[in-house]
Amino acid sequence: MENDNILSVKNLEVKFNLRGQVLTAIRGISLDLYKGESLAIVGESGSGKSVFTKTFMGMLDQNGSVTAGEILYKGMDLAKFKSEKEWLRIRGKEIAMVFQDPMTSLNPLKPVGKQIQEALEMHQRLKGKAARKRTIEILNDVGIPLPEMRYKQYPHEFSGGMRQRAVIATAIACRPNILICDEPTTALDVTIQAQIIELLRGLQKKYDLTIVYITHDLGVVAKVAERIAVMYAGDIIEIGTCNEIFYHAQHPYTWALLSSLPQLGVKGELLYSIKGTPPNLFKEIKGDAFAPRNPKALNIDFLIRPPYFQVSPTHFAKTWLLDPRAPRIDPPGTIKRLQDKWKEIKPNA
Amino acid sequence: MLKYILKRLLQSVFTLIIIATAVFLLMRLMPESGYFGDEYDKMDAEQIEASLAAMGLRDPIPKQLFNFYKSILSGDLGKSIVFRPKVEIAKIIKQKIPYSIPFGLASIGISLVLGVSIGVIMARFKHKLPDKLGNAYVVVINAVPAAVYYLFIQLYISDILHLPILFDAEKPLSWILPACSMSLSGIAYYAMWIRRYMLDQMTKDYIGFARAKGLSNKKLMYRHVIRNAFVPIAQYLPANMLFTISGSIYVESLFSIPGMGGLLIAAIQRQDNPLVQALVLIYSSIGILGLLLGDLLMALCDPRIKLASKGGSR
Amino acid sequence: MTKIAKLEKNLEEQIAQYDANMLFQQSEYDADEAEQGGYSNYSYWRSTWRSFTKNRTAIFFMCVLGVLLLFTLVQPLLPDQKDPTLIFWVDSMPDMNHRPDAQFWFGTNSTGQDLWARIWSGTRTSLAIGIIVGLFDALLGIIIGAIWGYVRKLDRLMTEIYNVIHNIPHSIILILVSYMVKPSVATMIFAMCVTGWLPMSRFVRNQIVIIRDQEYNLASRCLGTPTFRMIMKNLLPYLISVIMLRIALAIPAAIGNEVFLTYIGLGLPVTIPSLGNLINEGRIVMMSASSRYQIVLPSIVLSVITIAFYVIGNAFSDAADPKNHV
Repeated sequence: MENDNILSVKNLEVKFNLRGQVLTAIRGISLDLYKGESLAIVGESGSGKSVFTKTFMGMLDQNGSVTAGEILYKGMDLAKFKSEKEWLRIRGKEIAMVFQDPMTSLNPLKPVGKQIQEALEMHQRLKGKAARKRTIEILNDVGIPLPEMRYKQYPHEFSGGMRQRAVIATAIACRPNILICDEPTTALDVTIQAQIIELLRGLQKKYDLTIVYITHDLGVVAKVAERIAVMYAGDIIEIGTCNEIFYHAQHPYTWALLSSLPQLGVKGELLYSIKGTPPNLFKEIKGDAFAPRNPKALNIDFLIRPPYFQVSPTHFAKTWLLDPRAPRIDPPGTIKRLQDKWKEIKPNA
Repeated sequence: MLKYILKRLLQSVFTLIIIATAVFLLMRLMPESGYFGDEYDKMDAEQIEASLAAMGLRDPIPKQLFNFYKSILSGDLGKSIVFRPKVEIAKIIKQKIPYSIPFGLASIGISLVLGVSIGVIMARFKHKLPDKLGNAYVVVINAVPAAVYYLFIQLYISDILHLPILFDAEKPLSWILPACSMSLSGIAYYAMWIRRYMLDQMTKDYIGFARAKGLSNKKLMYRHVIRNAFVPIAQYLPANMLFTISGSIYVESLFSIPGMGGLLIAAIQRQDNPLVQALVLIYSSIGILGLLLGDLLMALCDPRIKLASKGGSR
Repeated sequence: MTKIAKLEKNLEEQIAQYDANMLFQQSEYDADEAEQGGYSNYSYWRSTWRSFTKNRTAIFFMCVLGVLLLFTLVQPLLPDQKDPTLIFWVDSMPDMNHRPDAQFWFGTNSTGQDLWARIWSGTRTSLAIGIIVGLFDALLGIIIGAIWGYVRKLDRLMTEIYNVIHNIPHSIILILVSYMVKPSVATMIFAMCVTGWLPMSRFVRNQIVIIRDQEYNLASRCLGTPTFRMIMKNLLPYLISVIMLRIALAIPAAIGNEVFLTYIGLGLPVTIPSLGNLINEGRIVMMSASSRYQIVLPSIVLSVITIAFYVIGNAFSDAADPKNHV
């Protein structure tokens, strides 16, 4: 993996003003994004995944703001950007985003081709016939058949999968360096999901993209991600390569997440679900945010917020269980099975 | 698409028939003196009966109804009794139209251009001064009855701007004040609705995506928001247009414009039943025609409607 | 990314504050603590009130209106008030067009009647018409709308009727009805009510259909919620705010309609003072500068009232919209 930082987030804090109260959505995240990688950000609804990536493009809602930290990109600190002019240098051109619902992402009253062409004309300095030609090429690239005909059609004439392809085409047309995909397959059929994932992988190779996937679906993650960041309550509590997270998870929340995946072929076991609810982000959180829901929590989890503990040069987790003074805790059954499985795959690891 | 047009046309015709019938029945409830004008007091009961019978007003209702439809379809709107005795109503109306139409068109033009512009500005500067000013204007125009502010315009503005108060076909300047007055409420209407629809659109996802593409707020507004916000407005555009053309009743009488609006007032004041009947019918038809055209315009602007009736492709 | 090999000094200091053994012991699992999710103390009416009170213009107009309304009701009871229909004489001639002074605060009109008394009496009449029309429209609208929404078989028929009536311009129907009946307060109210119930009924009908068909209501029903409770909790709060909005807007509309009809000649008889009549009377003498007060004064009162109701009505409607409850 190249150690080439393309985006570096340091201690980012994001707060929202809601009904007179302040909600801390992002509580101090630090993250490095490497050029050309696929990073997946996993977490439940409300963990802050979307908010986090929106800060890279200045797409936070009106009542939200970055209150601390830095977002370093190409020598600029995006967290300090205030004016639209500054963001217009970034949006599309450097960082592009694909939203979850392709139907609502497209203007229903404009032909699809025109919407893609708009991005081209803005970022590639192509006009008229040249732009149209390139648009049709891009439509081809993303796997839409009969692109000349599709160019003139309206969004509601496309099927769900094709719409998402069109949306991806629009994002690609901008030739960004970083592509953020916010739940790109959640609104699609399972069979179409696989196609879209394949498409994104192909495009990544072809255009040398860095892709950030946001998803709550670990199955999708397994297919696409090189690295996985697990988010909970506005913080990244564990990050590592795909194998490390699946086979060597260290944080109790990651354990719980992996355990709640229904396993094919394990009969008779009750479906596991994490007890309790995510914490109230209006209140200040003391210690580890996951502690109240963690039956195996230590006392210190409630008092002091854990720092990143290093498990390997690429694997970090924010849990006191990794402190040498902590007792040895057995991970739950599913995790043990995964660890054993790893030993089968790589007996020398 | 064709199916949709046909369906709408049929609906309109159906509504028209119902309205014509309703007008007809209502008219039979009108005071009988309306058929006679000044002579009514001089006639005795027998003469009244005889005249009514000669006019066909004592025939059984179905027969009257049939004759009524027949005459309308042949363009015969009857003869005025009081207003211009024995003159064909159709002729009277034709005389008035050339005055109402230019004013109507002018006022629609002004309303649209100014109204949409103001509405767009209001949406762009939401909650700031331009928005508040626009809002204040809309409130005053909507809350205060038109008669009142028209009067004030006549009273004060005409002095300030040295524009003639009463309309005179010879003086071009005298066109200005009435046309502008008529457009006041139109401006408020379009400004308010464009602003509302624009703000509606701005919260939609596709605007967020377009912004993520790198579109500036300005480009977003002009290329996507305004165009999409205009579509619902287009629906009522023809109806508004036709209405204003048929003559604003207030403005015409206030500025002494010999148009169709004043005709209705005169007909009512003189109790000229056939004229009132004809005018009500005409105004209603204009209303229906306007709504029909509006729906068709919508179908043209919004591709979803067009293709929904085709069955779409998946 | 900061790679932490050893704990930062800061953290070590924090840890040192506690007993190390205790820290790294397993904690007791408390199921209640686990359910710490955000608690929403959202109350619809409280949020509506909060939104409304934030709108300073609306509050201002409410105060103005309150004062005005109070005064209109109290005015006849004040000392030295004159009868609005009484003609005042000066030297065996009616005291016509007497400019405002200490004797007649608003002057007299062209018949010699006291304008001050006439204006307040007219306001009372017009307000009464407006409120009654508003209430009646609401009532009729709700009843018809409820039936329309509930009885599925009637839906098509009612929709057609709605379309027909909707297609005919309001003013025409208003004119027609007024033309046919003798002018009086009751008939004017009747004329305005003929079409006023339409928007309300359509609204209620839509809400009922939503109650029937929306998924959150289907879910409610699956859980066993009785229809009555669904109406109370889902429909009614929204309905009440809409009713209040409509009544608030009905008043300027009614006054406007009244002015319109009077203008055409179908208004109330001159013996009943109303704002419409007053405007009309003022219009007749408006051209001479000395009697302009006869149009200006009623217009001011009328404008203040209509604007106030309009602003308050709209402000309330905005405040009651849950989308604005941030």
